[in-house]
Amino acid sequence: MDGAQAKGWSRRTFLGGAGLLAAAIGLPLAAIKFKLFDADEAPSERQRSLMRTVSQIVIPATDTPGAGDVGAGDFVLLGLAHGLEKSRRPLSADAPQSLASFARKDGSLDQARWLEAELDARAQSDFLKVTADRQAALVAALDADAYAEGVRDHPWRTVKALILTGYYTSEPGGARELQFELVPGTYAPKVPVTPATRAFSSDWTAVDFG
Amino acid sequence: MEFDAIVVGSGITGGYAAKELTEAGLKVLMIERGREIRHQRDYATEMKTPWEMPFRGAGDQERYAREFPVQMLNRHFTEYTQGHFVNDAENPYAKADGTDFNWFRSYQLGGRSLTWGRQSYRWSDYDFEANKRDGHGTDWPIRYADLAPWYDKVEQFIGVSGAREGLKQLPDGQFQPPMALNPVEQHVREVMKANWPERCLTIGRTANLTEAKGERGVCQNRSICARGCSYGAYFSTQSSTLPAAMATGRLTVLTDAVVEKLEYDAATGRVTGVRYLDRTTRTRKTAIARIVFVNAGAFNSVHLLLNSANESMPSGLANSSGVLGTHIMDHASTLSAIALMPGFEAHTTTGNRPTGVVVARYRNMDAIDGEGHMRGYSYQGGALQSTWTAAKRDPGIGTGLKEKLQKPGMWRMVLVAFADCIPRASNRLTLDSNQTDADGIPQLKIAFAFGKEERAALAQAKADAAEMLTKAGGNVIMGFDQPGPGGSAIHEMGGARMGHDPATSVLNKWSQAHDVANLFVTDGAQMSSSACQNPSLTYMALTARACDTAVSMLREGKI
Repeated sequence: MDGAQAKGWSRRTFLGGAGLLAAAIGLPLAAIKFKLFDADEAPSERQRSLMRTVSQIVIPATDTPGAGDVGAGDFVLLGLAHGLEKSRRPLSADAPQSLASFARKDGSLDQARWLEAELDARAQSDFLKVTADRQAALVAALDADAYAEGVRDHPWRTVKALILTGYYTSEPGGARELQFELVPGTYAPKVPVTPATRAFSSDWTAVDFG
Repeated sequence: MEFDAIVVGSGITGGYAAKELTEAGLKVLMIERGREIRHQRDYATEMKTPWEMPFRGAGDQERYAREFPVQMLNRHFTEYTQGHFVNDAENPYAKADGTDFNWFRSYQLGGRSLTWGRQSYRWSDYDFEANKRDGHGTDWPIRYADLAPWYDKVEQFIGVSGAREGLKQLPDGQFQPPMALNPVEQHVREVMKANWPERCLTIGRTANLTEAKGERGVCQNRSICARGCSYGAYFSTQSSTLPAAMATGRLTVLTDAVVEKLEYDAATGRVTGVRYLDRTTRTRKTAIARIVFVNAGAFNSVHLLLNSANESMPSGLANSSGVLGTHIMDHASTLSAIALMPGFEAHTTTGNRPTGVVVARYRNMDAIDGEGHMRGYSYQGGALQSTWTAAKRDPGIGTGLKEKLQKPGMWRMVLVAFADCIPRASNRLTLDSNQTDADGIPQLKIAFAFGKEERAALAQAKADAAEMLTKAGGNVIMGFDQPGPGGSAIHEMGGARMGHDPATSVLNKWSQAHDVANLFVTDGAQMSSSACQNPSLTYMALTARACDTAVSMLREGKI
């Protein structure tokens, strides 16, 4: 049994799960197909479940799906494994033990493991088994701590950034929650903002520099 | 293979040279080290949405860190465009101790014409007289009047949209209708004009079409140009010069062929052609021609000349002066100011305008008013609104966050300074005899540092930017006064400078080597100073002018 299977994850089950998820919420499978993880870094099913839950708390379902619904949780895990948002940057030499104990072999923080432990600690039990309201309150408190005055670097910021990316670059987030137009054709420099106005996820300047 | 002319490189100037020379009746070989990319057929990601990309456009950063550690620092480098940049691991270069230089490169048919920023500005006599005025570098052997008709010709061919402003320091050109300023930019323009009449904010002059031109369609306001544009709406080799050259029936294009050396005949004092490595077959071949145009990109052109040393020219081809490789430059650039711009929330924009704005140089023109520097700086930037990515920086989760991100975000105005770079002998390119690349060619070694003049210019630019944006009602939240690493402006140039004197320059006023009459270098390598505006339009104008001269010389039997 290899490392991935030991953690309850394999390519087949992963894609199978993705397919079931896609079928359940009517999304194209293409939205959540992605490259394999290294076997020894594959996320566990619990991590996938937790990341999906947390993503849904950050961007809940309204008249459009939430971030968990569209597979942002899996995207976060993929992004963390592949260095998005500088997630494979080595921990600093003076990193606290609370982070250093979750270091990967390359010296970077394993944010998925850290988040599991952090939320379980805050819940004082299994985070996934507390009520939805309690889960939301715990994530809100974590978010507040991560952006508190004087805090410049916090692993939650990395996770949250990837949740946002996973959502707003998905078809439901990018083209239904926001507007998406690959070929605008024209540029209108002064358009009144109305209650119906929605931002364009295809405003690349805003995405890159806003 | 035997030709009238060989053009080494297929980028902005190589393509232009191929067009001009073939249209003049010459049989031309254009030789490109990289792969073929066909217009409209090989822009693989052009129509991709983020959700069709494995990493949603952000790319596999872990892989980039291994294979593209330099290119990934380029803001145009994304998951969509990675195929238009070199693999750094396969294309190493050396740096001298203390040098911090990011060399952004695109080895493919079309070169960086596929990925360039398209900003197209004329230089003025403030620029061509800069070296003579302050004594740095060597005097340009040309002035604006020499180049003006060639700017006209190039602008009419490539298509440049822009507004006529009547500025001496940024001469007007043959413009297509300008793109529009948004309300914040219009406001800042008016505040500048009211308070500093000599300062002009205008829409970027960009090689994106606002009127169709032949087979090329108008810009679709996508602003994803570096993926390649099947509309042909921005100038590139593929959209513009290559079709023109191919239409003559006199162009041969060779890709995946790395020119290693220019062949030189000491008896005649002429180059006879090129020796190149066919990367497909891994065999070495030669091609022969009556004239050679070197357009490999500034640093690679110098690299080729240095590597073409021979018994009679042991320090490099056309290097009797000894200055080959010296006086390289890149604009010193930094984010001078970013300001929140309240009061404009009632409006937004639709469509993606593929250019920002420019604030023309206003310092050190007829009077020296720079603090610690004697040349110019200008700004590029624009007003934009934030969007969901801003939420990465701020606290907040849940339905409230989602609702907030539905709306266009806060307006902000950005000014990025580009400062003139002093030409210094110590900033130079050499061959690193200890390290070779994958093809066995000695690596290029870059020694580069900005000096006190550039730092002084950027310090003044930061102060000015903050003052102007504050006056316009902005709340400045950030600004810098230190340049990024060399290469950051992607305007690296110099190394085979033009000059009056063969003893102190490589090229004469026709971009022709002093030492080798049938050798022309018409890319950024020929530049004797940097000005503070984007140089590509000037490279093309110089190329068109050099081609005209070369053809005349050939016909008159002078070369």
